Amino acid sequence: MRPAMILALLLGLLLLVDALLIGISLERRRQWREARPLLEITVAALGLTDLAVATEARYTRHPAVSDSLAPFMDHPGAIDHFPTGSFWAPPPAFRRSP
Amino acid sequence: MNSALEKQLNLLDYALASLWRRRLKNSSVLVVFTAVIFLVASFHLVTTALTETAGAVLRQTPEIVIQKMSAGRQEAIPVAYGEQLSRLFGIKKIVPRVWGYYFDEPFQANYTVLGVDPAAMPMGEHLVQTLLAGAWPGSAANQAVVGGAIRELLALSVAPPTVEDDFPDHSLFALHRPDRSLKLLSTVGVFRDETALLTADLIAMSLADARDLFQIPADLATDLCVYVHNPAEITNLARKIAAILPDTRVLTRPQIEQTYRVVFGWRSGFAAVCLLAALAAFVILAWDKASGLSPEERREIAILKILGWETADLLLVRCWEALIVALLAFVAGCTLAWLHVVFFEAALFRPVLVGWSVIHPPFALTPRIEVKDLLLLFVLTVLPYLAATVIPTWRGAVVPAEDALNG
Repeated sequence: MRPAMILALLLGLLLLVDALLIGISLERRRQWREARPLLEITVAALGLTDLAVATEARYTRHPAVSDSLAPFMDHPGAIDHFPTGSFWAPPPAFRRSP
Repeated sequence: MNSALEKQLNLLDYALASLWRRRLKNSSVLVVFTAVIFLVASFHLVTTALTETAGAVLRQTPEIVIQKMSAGRQEAIPVAYGEQLSRLFGIKKIVPRVWGYYFDEPFQANYTVLGVDPAAMPMGEHLVQTLLAGAWPGSAANQAVVGGAIRELLALSVAPPTVEDDFPDHSLFALHRPDRSLKLLSTVGVFRDETALLTADLIAMSLADARDLFQIPADLATDLCVYVHNPAEITNLARKIAAILPDTRVLTRPQIEQTYRVVFGWRSGFAAVCLLAALAAFVILAWDKASGLSPEERREIAILKILGWETADLLLVRCWEALIVALLAFVAGCTLAWLHVVFFEAALFRPVLVGWSVIHPPFALTPRIEVKDLLLLFVLTVLPYLAATVIPTWRGAVVPAEDALNG
């Protein structure tokens, strides 16, 4: 078998795995779409504004409605010591003028 | 077979044989390249999935939220502020909420405690659908609905109809008020697992119970949710509210949605680390390639030219070599990234994404795979590698063969 054929087989195998994964992804997205009305009811009926992804600091638990400035929040010179502060970018500075 | 295609296949065979001859070097490049693409693609998939999820579910968030500010911090807002807004045309209703955080010392966990009257909120009548078991607190005091993660952490069960039948009662749990006195709560409902992304750390109760727990006077609330008749007027009304209540922060639904389009972006520190790592790997790779061909490679080019190969053929072979490495790395990196995010719940990023959170929802993320994202990743990673490989070969190929052989 010529080398080009071996490469084609390898790439074909990888793409086959990808096709299988895309199939799983589509099925999961269908399940997610089915659960969405429940999430919308929860948000509307409780007036929620944020995702409960990180629960360690208020500026990552509720970035949309909490103070946007994490460093110096607790006292002058206090730096951000929560790990999630490094993953979550600060919210946009729109809060002074709605 | 078409002679042009046959020529390309022969060149491809030669390129593969050439790669195989230097398999140790090429496989290490392949591994590093795959790792770089895996890192960048994983971050992109996680942030895209979170942004999309937030955008989809937060469409029903309150249209306007009013918070009172003092010394740069949020503080309790008088419920009477709502009456000052009554003359504003276009406001449908103003609903006060009491919410805050409760740190549970034994478990080192933060809970979000929310006191709200669902009857006054949109879709409040459907709230029972979001419960796995039990019901929303009735008129009786000291009742709560908890998120699935809290139920697991505190090993709670939903309150039985008659408490005497079940002793000890596993539906009961106690929280401390600010004066350290205990407030006993009965779990009357549990949120469904499907809502964990919103309710994992939530303890929902009536407004009166939340005020009692936080010892907030009855004339104060944490914030006011404002609902309007015409959603197109949200920004206008928010501006007017800010003018009437200058000591408040007025947040609108579009601003809340905008927040979630930004917070998982490439501007965060962690993203910068990912990008810098990828950039450093590329710079090293490009430096190695662009710093010139090795004597062995120069010799090979010279011999091929003496045998009658044209410069264009040499460039094609190098193009094929680079394309094979880049394509394999790209497909493998993207596949591994998808597996990492979907099946392993972004295990590598989770320590940073949730930090020291004791309570967090399962990351059942299913990112949408879009062609434009794949193309962007391809352009960012594969094209620089192709350029870094082909340009030095072109520089080497234009040198006369005798000069190259003589060193």
